[in-house]
Amino acid sequence: MVLKIMFFTSPTCSWCPYLIDVLKRILENTEHLELEIFDVAEDIEKAEEYDIVAIPTIILPNNQRIIGAADEAFIQEQLDFFMNLGQS
Amino acid sequence: MNLEAISTKTLEIDYKYIEITNFFFKNFRYNFIQENNITLLKVMIISTGINELDRMIDGGLRTGYCYAVKGTAGAGKTVLSLFMAMGALKQDIHVLFISTEVEPEKLIEYVKSFGMDFQPYIDKNMLTVDKMSLKPQGVGIVQTEKFDLSAIIARTKKKIDDIDAKLVIFDSVSAFVAEFQFEKAARSNFMDFIREITDAGAVLVLTSESQISEEYATLEEFLVDGVIKIRTELKNNQLIKRISVPKLRSAQPINFENRFIINKQGVTILRSEQPPISLIKEEKTGISRLDDLLGGGIPTGSVVLIELDGETNYFPLFLTTLHHHLNQGKGIVIHSNVHMYSSRILDEFKRAKSDISSHLNEGNIVFIDKYNRSVTAVEAREMSQLMTTDDMISVTVELMEAFEKAKQKVVLYGDLTDDVNILSETDFLRYFALQSFNVKERRAIAYSFINFKAISSEILARLRTTADIIIRFSRVDYNNYIECRKSSTGATFLPKIVKFKDTIPLLEIIG
Repeated sequence: MVLKIMFFTSPTCSWCPYLIDVLKRILENTEHLELEIFDVAEDIEKAEEYDIVAIPTIILPNNQRIIGAADEAFIQEQLDFFMNLGQS
Repeated sequence: MNLEAISTKTLEIDYKYIEITNFFFKNFRYNFIQENNITLLKVMIISTGINELDRMIDGGLRTGYCYAVKGTAGAGKTVLSLFMAMGALKQDIHVLFISTEVEPEKLIEYVKSFGMDFQPYIDKNMLTVDKMSLKPQGVGIVQTEKFDLSAIIARTKKKIDDIDAKLVIFDSVSAFVAEFQFEKAARSNFMDFIREITDAGAVLVLTSESQISEEYATLEEFLVDGVIKIRTELKNNQLIKRISVPKLRSAQPINFENRFIINKQGVTILRSEQPPISLIKEEKTGISRLDDLLGGGIPTGSVVLIELDGETNYFPLFLTTLHHHLNQGKGIVIHSNVHMYSSRILDEFKRAKSDISSHLNEGNIVFIDKYNRSVTAVEAREMSQLMTTDDMISVTVELMEAFEKAKQKVVLYGDLTDDVNILSETDFLRYFALQSFNVKERRAIAYSFINFKAISSEILARLRTTADIIIRFSRVDYNNYIECRKSSTGATFLPKIVKFKDTIPLLEIIG
């Protein structure tokens, strides 16, 4: 089974390219997780559906959200937390 | 290109714009600028639906402008913005209302408590009510400082396009501002937000919460084009709401604070030169300018003392108010004397081309004549003897009760000047005090006319103590003046010129 991590970006978001790289790097080493990127400028319906107001927003499969850019360690920590939850 | 061609082209453009302007003039109020002989469409002014607020913000909300409604908790920011939305909708202007705190369903329900209904407008695609919040229900959030509001901008713009909204209300931005740790980040984000929405040709109204002690301007105030500030204060156990416009880019801001009332009829702003309106219901006098000056009218249960100088004809005032009260279906009791008697009153009304005989026949006017000059034969028989003051009072009370049973409010008229001189001082004051007490207790209105030059200053002082409202009607040279010297509503005013007219209303207050 593959779970999806949703990433909401916009053309004006200056932190997003960096964050996408970080996420891709993390997910390379993680099984069952896949990255899905939405540009709110084009995909407003998706933003509406998930009630996105701030960019960047990362939605983990358990509906946990990370709003705002963060460093690799922080995101890794959040992801680990989620993975561990799944295991226990 | 030759000159002729240029001028033809200009004409073409001109014609096109004239067509556009004519169309818009018919539908909305617009501001135009004249540039190189071409009329350009610049700003559309949207009325808030609240006349006095329109006046405070120089005509109304301007497209391309952003306004902030700032206020303490419970001051009425949301209600005010809802009334603004309704005001726009009534002018066929489409509205987008975004709430960050309240669910749309709840808001639509809330609006109903003010006697408005949003649903028909939503059905007609004229209104969208939506909720946007940083933390949707049932979602866990971890958050850093590094984010922008581009998603909210994109979503809002889409919604604006969907219904072609010209008024966007965002209630409230406080929650979003609070999310930013640094003012710089908040500022640039909100600037983007405001610019993107106003560039779309809409008015943006943001509401934001302020602290009671907040005297300095906050972030939102710097960024917007106009600030409408509202606050609540506790005075005499009453919560009083006040509204002001401390900032306005389109015009000179108005430097005073007005009171305002929110009720089912809407938002009523009382200009600061107007007095506070008491919670007691006022009765109109029939002279609209006098009502305005008195802060809406005369509160029920008032004794109005009208002081005359003996030279001024008070009949225009008397007849106009009498006529107005009769038309409202009130019961009138007149203590008649040598000035106020039935045939004269009828004649005077005839002269003003008005007929009150139907009211006389229906018994809406009753004359009590202590000198045995009653109009109806029945009354004449009943009061065959000269009445004492106690008789007068008991007859008046009986009449008031009779009117009350018929669900009619009572208005009393009397010219007291002769009574003061005929009766002994104690008798007169007792009579006046008891009569006033009855009027106040039964929530009637009494108009007592008195010639202040014909009575002693001590008696006048006592009458003034008892009276709730004192109006002085006097003549200097060839001008007649009216002034209010005392009022239970606090609405006194300086002498104003009175002009008499031939038809009802028989007098007009100038200025």
